[in-house]
Amino acid sequence: MTGGLPDRDWPGRHLPGRHWQEGDGLHIDVRGLDPPEPMVAILGQLDQPDQSGPVTVHHDRQPIYLFPELAMRGWTCTQIPGDPGEIRLRLNRTP
Amino acid sequence: MSMAGSFLGGAKNRLLPASVPFRFFLAASGFQVLAWAMLFVGAPDLAGYAGGTGPVLAAIHLLTLGVLVLCAMGASYQLLPVVTRRPMARTWPARLSFWFVAPGTLLLAYGMANAALPALFSGGGLVSAGLLVFAILTGNNLWRAGNMAVVAAHGWGALVALAGFVAIGVLLIADFQFGLLTERREMALVHMILASFGFMGLLVLGLSQVLIPMFVLSRGLPARLGWAQLATGIAALGLVGAGVLMQNPGLMIAGFVPGIGAVIAHFAAMRTAFRTGMRKRLGLSFILIRASWRFLGLGLLIGLALVLGLALPGGPALFGFVVLAGWLLTFLTGILQRIMPFLASMHASGHAGVPALLSDLTAEFPLRIHAVCHFAALTLVMAGIVFDLTLSIRIGAALGTLGALAFLTFAIILVVRLWALSNRA
Repeated sequence: MTGGLPDRDWPGRHLPGRHWQEGDGLHIDVRGLDPPEPMVAILGQLDQPDQSGPVTVHHDRQPIYLFPELAMRGWTCTQIPGDPGEIRLRLNRTP
Repeated sequence: MSMAGSFLGGAKNRLLPASVPFRFFLAASGFQVLAWAMLFVGAPDLAGYAGGTGPVLAAIHLLTLGVLVLCAMGASYQLLPVVTRRPMARTWPARLSFWFVAPGTLLLAYGMANAALPALFSGGGLVSAGLLVFAILTGNNLWRAGNMAVVAAHGWGALVALAGFVAIGVLLIADFQFGLLTERREMALVHMILASFGFMGLLVLGLSQVLIPMFVLSRGLPARLGWAQLATGIAALGLVGAGVLMQNPGLMIAGFVPGIGAVIAHFAAMRTAFRTGMRKRLGLSFILIRASWRFLGLGLLIGLALVLGLALPGGPALFGFVVLAGWLLTFLTGILQRIMPFLASMHASGHAGVPALLSDLTAEFPLRIHAVCHFAALTLVMAGIVFDLTLSIRIGAALGTLGALAFLTFAIILVVRLWALSNRA
């Protein structure tokens, strides 16, 4: 996994988990966090005013309670290949 | 790998089949109607109630076992595996526990209302068997829990209290036939304290550590507050319980010190959640949840006044009503109207496997009727107890029944919409 620390002035920096930018957009790693921190980390990023996606989430389980929140916000979720034991999700804003 | 449909399909493996939690929640909604209706029947006996069979005792158990315990069971089956990250190995024991507790509660309530011993014994036996299954399933899940130690510890505390209140409950039923107990009144009070503050209270305090932050979208709560509320809560239960059994007011008063400490720690944790939560518009459910915390504080003050020997008209009945209906019922109806649409949304995946919108599943109007009727009912019944006014209790119970019917309507509409969306997908 590649990536770096988020910008100090970036408004989502206080959220739990690790966040970094790659060529394909924002990445959030919430592995090892207890509920509800993964959901807070992900939704906190999606709610940033300048966040239009896509966002890649690195998770260690299926975030079942996240989906209704994504649907309400108009985001879709797709599972993409990830590391062994990882659930990797690609989130896209609905056009 | 694609996409929403298959993804949600995998995620659903972490959910219980919808029929498991929803049977508990629907039944609890139905029992709420029965509990208020039974209170309407027993209104003349409520203000001076100090124990014994009759409609008041039946109403209490329709509320506690029928509404509160069934809600706690359904929520625990659904939420604990998510919190502990240990899925439930089999779902049939959860279904079995329902078929013990729900009909058992009906039988027990009938036996209590009519002093019918066969119904008391068979109902008590069924409920005890169902709670035993629940305790084994929950204990098994907590035993395998790899994280969230503070929530798991609350769960263990609740299970110990469950064993205590069920054992005393069975003794109290046997006492109707065999006259075993010399201190029946004290045992009944310990039974009530263990059931309401021990089992329900510790479950509510423990699951709130996860549920409230999830609803308000706040960071995880400080574990030290969770441990503080647990330690002081258990100390309070031990001291007050021992004080009641030994008829020692000093011990009971001493128990209120950690009890108040537990409530302060809980309130501090909840305040942290609200202060740091990203979601500020929390809706009707949080009006109920916030109000329930005020009733918890009020209940403790009334209990303390009683222990200090202050003359409080209808004091024991007021204490029981404020704790059971004011705190626990208000809290659980607030939580239920939040988690039922949430769960239904996951199960009712619509087009391309995307979850249904909560707004498409929730009937808001019945919930508004419920809230108005519920608060009016609480106010009128409390006033009726204090001023010994049967008419006020009766009108309050009638409004409570109306509100409960509205809540049941919300629950039925939700399940019908869930069923329709599931069949369409």
